[in-house]
Amino acid sequence: MSRRALLVLAPALLAVPALAAPPDAATILRRADRAVLGETATYTLRMTVVRPGKPERVVEMKGWKKGDDQGLVRYTAPAKERGTAYLRSGESTWLFLPSAEKVVRVGAKQNFGGGDFSNADIFRLSLVKDYDPTLAGEESVEGEACYKLELKAKDRSIAYDRVVYWVRSDGTFYPVKADYYTLSGKNLKSLLLSQVKPIGGRARPTLMTMESRVDEGSRTRLEFLTIQDDPKLDDRLFSPTALERGE
Amino acid sequence: MTLRLLSIAFRNLLRAKRRNALAGGSMALGTAALVFASGLADGITRQLSDNLVAIQTGHLQVVVRPDDFEAQNNPFDAYGQDRLPDAAALARRIEAEGRVAGVARAVPYLFARGSAVAGSRSSVAWIVGIEPAKERELRSAQPAAEGVFLPEGDPLAVYVAEPAARKLRVGVGDAVSFIVQTPQGAVNSLDATVCGIFRKGAPWYDNAFYVTLGAAQALVDWPGGATNVKVILEDARSLSRARAAVEAAVAGARAGPLAKGTRIRVESYTEAGRFSWAIIQANQAALVMLSGFLFAAAGVGVVNAMLMSVRERTREIGTMRALGMRRSRVVRLFVLEGMALGVVSAVVGALAGGAAVAWLAATGIPMKVSSLAWMAGGDVLYPALELASLLRAVLSIVLLSTLAAVYPAFSASRLEPREALHHV
Repeated sequence: MSRRALLVLAPALLAVPALAAPPDAATILRRADRAVLGETATYTLRMTVVRPGKPERVVEMKGWKKGDDQGLVRYTAPAKERGTAYLRSGESTWLFLPSAEKVVRVGAKQNFGGGDFSNADIFRLSLVKDYDPTLAGEESVEGEACYKLELKAKDRSIAYDRVVYWVRSDGTFYPVKADYYTLSGKNLKSLLLSQVKPIGGRARPTLMTMESRVDEGSRTRLEFLTIQDDPKLDDRLFSPTALERGE
Repeated sequence: MTLRLLSIAFRNLLRAKRRNALAGGSMALGTAALVFASGLADGITRQLSDNLVAIQTGHLQVVVRPDDFEAQNNPFDAYGQDRLPDAAALARRIEAEGRVAGVARAVPYLFARGSAVAGSRSSVAWIVGIEPAKERELRSAQPAAEGVFLPEGDPLAVYVAEPAARKLRVGVGDAVSFIVQTPQGAVNSLDATVCGIFRKGAPWYDNAFYVTLGAAQALVDWPGGATNVKVILEDARSLSRARAAVEAAVAGARAGPLAKGTRIRVESYTEAGRFSWAIIQANQAALVMLSGFLFAAAGVGVVNAMLMSVRERTREIGTMRALGMRRSRVVRLFVLEGMALGVVSAVVGALAGGAAVAWLAATGIPMKVSSLAWMAGGDVLYPALELASLLRAVLSIVLLSTLAAVYPAFSASRLEPREALHHV
C-alpha cells in the first residue's frame, strides 16, 4: 500500500472502534451486573430514607455478599437499631430483631429497612438470571452516553415484570439508571447510580438513589462508604443460626 | 285453695312494705341488670353474626384451605389465601343445584393484601374484588357515607372504608394506587378512583377497599380466580340442608387445579368466623358469670326478708297452726309469698331494663375505645331486645325468689303452736 493510500485510509481506520457494533444486550447486562460489587464482597453502607414531612432517617450498616443469592446486612448505627440484620440465603430472606431476639422470615419483595429498596433489590443485584435483555438503542442519561436495555422478566415470579436499564457506553459499563415497572405497566420506582469514584481499589458508582414513582417525594439513598471485592467468606456466615448469634 | 293462699301471699307482702320493698327492689335491679346485660350480649351477637354473614362468609362459604389449616383466631381467618379456580362457574352451579335446599345466592369474591398510596400517604390495604350487583347484604352492612356503592363493571372504581380514606386523605373522585405482590411473586399495581366512602362497621374493616372482581383478578394476576364463594340462604335455619346441597355441588364441579397441599372446603359462618364466635362466647360466659353474682345477691336478700318475716309473724303462725293449719300449707304460704315478691320485682325490673335496652337499641352506644369496638364488633353497639332473653330473666328471678323462700318456709312450718303463741 502506498503512503498516499495510507494517508487516505487512516481516518477511516481510526473511526473503526466508533463504528463497531455495540456489544450484545446480554454482554452489556453481564458487565453492568459486576460494575458495582464483585462476585463476593464486603462493604459498609449509609442508608438515608427520605419521607415528605418527616425527618430523614439515617442508618449505617455492614454487608457481606457471596454470589447472587447469599447476602447479609447488619445495622451498625444508630445505637438503638444496632444488631438488626437481614439475611438472604437461596430464595429465603430473614430479619433478626435484637430487641425481640427473634429471627423471622420476611418476603423478598418487602421493603428493606423501611426504605424504597426491597429486600430483593438489596440482595439480588444480578439482573442476568431474572431477565431477558434487548438493546433498545443508545441515549444520553444524566449527561452520560448510555446503552438503553429493555429487560423482560423470564417468568411471572420475578418482582418487576419490566425494567428499562441504562448502562454507560464508554466501556465502563457502569449502570446509570433503572426504571422498574409492574405487571400492569406502571412505573413503580427509579434507581439512579451516581458519584463514580475510586473505592476498594477501583472506580465505580458509589451512590444509589431509589425514588418511588407512586409515593410522591419518597426516596432512599444508599451510599457505599467502603468496599472490599473478593474476600474469602464462609458459607456458614449466611445461615439463620449465625444471624441469631450475631456472628 | 292455692289461689286463696296466693291472694293472702300478695296481701302479706304489703304488711312489711319497707322490708319487702328493699328485697324486691334488689331483685328488680337484678332483673333490670340481667335484661340490660342480655340486651348487650344479644346486640353483640347479632352485630357480629350479621356482619360476618353479609361481609365475609355468607351463611356458608366455599374456600380453599391448606390441608393443615388451623384458624389463627383473627378476623381475617374467614378469607381464603389460595386460588379457588373457576369461581364464577362454581357459584352458578351452587345457585342452580342449591335452590331447592334454600340457597338464595352464591357470590364469588377475591381477597388480597397490599398497600394503597395516594399522594405522599400510604396505608395497608385489604383489597376485596366483588360483583357489586350480587352484594346486597354487603351494601346494606357497609352503606355509603359519601358517594355511591361500587358501580357494576367499572374496573377503575374503588369503594373505601372511612378510616382508610381519612388516613390517605382522599375523597370521592380522588385517585388511589394499589400495589400488591401477586401470589406468583411479581409486583403489580392498579390506579383507581374513589367512587364512595363507606361506614365500615367492625374495626377490622378499617383498611377495606372494594374493587370489581375483574379488577382484583387482574391485580393479583388470577384470571377467573377468587378466594371465596359466599352462599346466602333464604332462611338461616335451613343451614344443614343447604350445606349438603353445596357440598354436593362442589364435589360435582370440575374445579381447575388447586395449589399443592390444599383442598376445597365448605364452612358454615360459625366455623369460618371463629374469631367472631369467640367474642360471642366470651360475652355469653361473662353474662353467665354476671347472672351468677346477681342471683347470689338477690337470693341472700330474699332469704333474709323471708326469715325476718317468719320471725315477726311467729305468733301469727302459731295461731294459724293452733286453728288447724297444716305444716304443708304454712310452707306453701311462705313459698307463694316468695314467688309473689319475685313476680312483682321481675316485672318491674324487666320493664325498666327493657325500656333502657329499647332506647339504646335505637340510639346506639358509641364504642370510643378501640378494644371495646373490637369486643362489640362495631364502632357503635346497638343492644337487642330479644323476647327470649326478657322471659329468661323474668323466669330466672321468679324461680330464684321462690326457691329462696323454701328454707324460711320450712323454718316457719317447724314452729310448735304452743311455743309460737308464747313468743313475744
